[in-house]
Amino acid sequence: MSQDMKTTPLHGWHAQKNANMAAFGGYEMPLWYPSGAKAEHLAVITGAGLFDTSHMAVLTLHGPTVRALLQRCFSKDLERCLGPKKTPLIAGRCAYGVFLNSAAGVIDDAIVYQCGDQDYMIVVNASMGGPIAAHLRQHNREEPAAVIHDLTDKVGKMDIQGPAAARILGRILNNPAGVFEKMIYFSFKGTFDPQNLPGGPVELIDSTPVMVSRTGYTGEFGFELFVAPEYIEKLWHLLLSAGEAESILPCGLASRDSLRAGAGLPLSHQDIGPWVFSCNPWTFVLPWDEAGTTFTKEFLGAPALQATDTPPCTLPFAGFDPRKITISDKSLVTDLNGTPLGSILTCTTDMAIDRVGATIVSLASPAASGRPESFVPRGLCCGFVRVERLLPAGTEVLLTDGKRKLKVEIRDDIRPDRTARKPMQSML
Amino acid sequence: MKEVEELNLPDGLGYTDDHEWAQITGATVRIGVSDYAQDQLGDIVFVELPAIGDTFAKGDEFGTLESVKAVSELYMPMSGTVMAVNTALTDAPELINQDPYAAWIIEITPSASSEYAQLHTAASYLDLLKG
Repeated sequence: MSQDMKTTPLHGWHAQKNANMAAFGGYEMPLWYPSGAKAEHLAVITGAGLFDTSHMAVLTLHGPTVRALLQRCFSKDLERCLGPKKTPLIAGRCAYGVFLNSAAGVIDDAIVYQCGDQDYMIVVNASMGGPIAAHLRQHNREEPAAVIHDLTDKVGKMDIQGPAAARILGRILNNPAGVFEKMIYFSFKGTFDPQNLPGGPVELIDSTPVMVSRTGYTGEFGFELFVAPEYIEKLWHLLLSAGEAESILPCGLASRDSLRAGAGLPLSHQDIGPWVFSCNPWTFVLPWDEAGTTFTKEFLGAPALQATDTPPCTLPFAGFDPRKITISDKSLVTDLNGTPLGSILTCTTDMAIDRVGATIVSLASPAASGRPESFVPRGLCCGFVRVERLLPAGTEVLLTDGKRKLKVEIRDDIRPDRTARKPMQSML
Repeated sequence: MKEVEELNLPDGLGYTDDHEWAQITGATVRIGVSDYAQDQLGDIVFVELPAIGDTFAKGDEFGTLESVKAVSELYMPMSGTVMAVNTALTDAPELINQDPYAAWIIEITPSASSEYAQLHTAASYLDLLKG
């Protein structure tokens, strides 16, 4: 391990369990444990998986001008972001969006949590706490200025994901019925720091304060959990013990990547990055009006976007078997005649899906959706390409690494029958 | 990830720098990948096999292993003609993870048996892995 590589408080546990480790975002993190990335991926589809995500950075913002600052810097219109009626963000709810620079390139994606009237929390990617804090301070113009804390490495975070997540988590919470009541997708309860951040009280069975957020990065039902760093090992072991009956597995970044790609979620600095944030599957985070033609607020990057949705376009794809292309200087997307169309951004294998005829079926699909009784998916290559023109779903293109060629299909969506938005009551 | 000391490196096989193994079985040679290779790659999800009758020189690429991590080329430890491919790997590529020595990939008739002597022994391959 190189000396400037950072670690999370669970690093010793990962090493002791013989995890295959790799560098990610400046941290040495587990890629997979001896159970293997495929078993970990499938555990999140059928049971539960637990991810160490303490490499992600948390910021808190306090004061009467925070909302104006976020309205200027964050892509979502916080006054029109909740539910079909587009109501304002309120305490206990969170919103996904991006921070754009003035050229409309993505600095990072993030979830903004409203914790109190004037208190917010932002979760960004590994190593992005400093850059996002600096970016916000640069635009922190109103009086009194918002108080911005970069809590990088000062908050413990882990994600429990999968259909059994609530049943397992409920066993280690005080008053689980109260915590889970009305806990809809993209809502949260509790705080990891009762002194400085409002919220709660949500507690583990030994009274440790915890923030429970019904969010994640797998497309499956589950929670992101935040605690003070000194409690992270305790929470990790409590969840692994509580989930034994459901065969919960610790999961590494390989399964996190294959799960999120199959769910159509972008990896920041790979699928979104320093290019214009338009013509991609995630422009729903822009503050479109109902007609989808103009923005409902002014924000950083908006003039460069000019409310247009023009190529190059980022599009999801899925293949016809598990084979994939390793991304390199030589990899590219072509049409079926070999004419270059663009680049491959993500290429991985979603191991829970396969094709049944022309239809993609998941291990989690109900029989009524075409899942055969003895369905054993081989997995399908999937990910995102960035191409020079908008290609309709169903278009077949070739991915190549300069030697081998793989035919894949442009898709609107990849893994069907995901559980992230299922009603809480059906998951208890 | 296994420590070097935990790797299973049987004697009686020849190993390459690229982590293939070769085993003389009568007139033919079986070829697969080492425990180190399968451990580094993680779960193997697809194996691309050559056709029976294909002829390769030592060092030629004869197929690929598709793991969760990457696509890895397979290189011939010896020159020869493919006599058999392990079709069980088509439906169960994970057999390579479970036992990389039972899960041979191809069987060849070598065109230069003397090439076997150029491969690493288990002991010298272990030295290579220790760096």
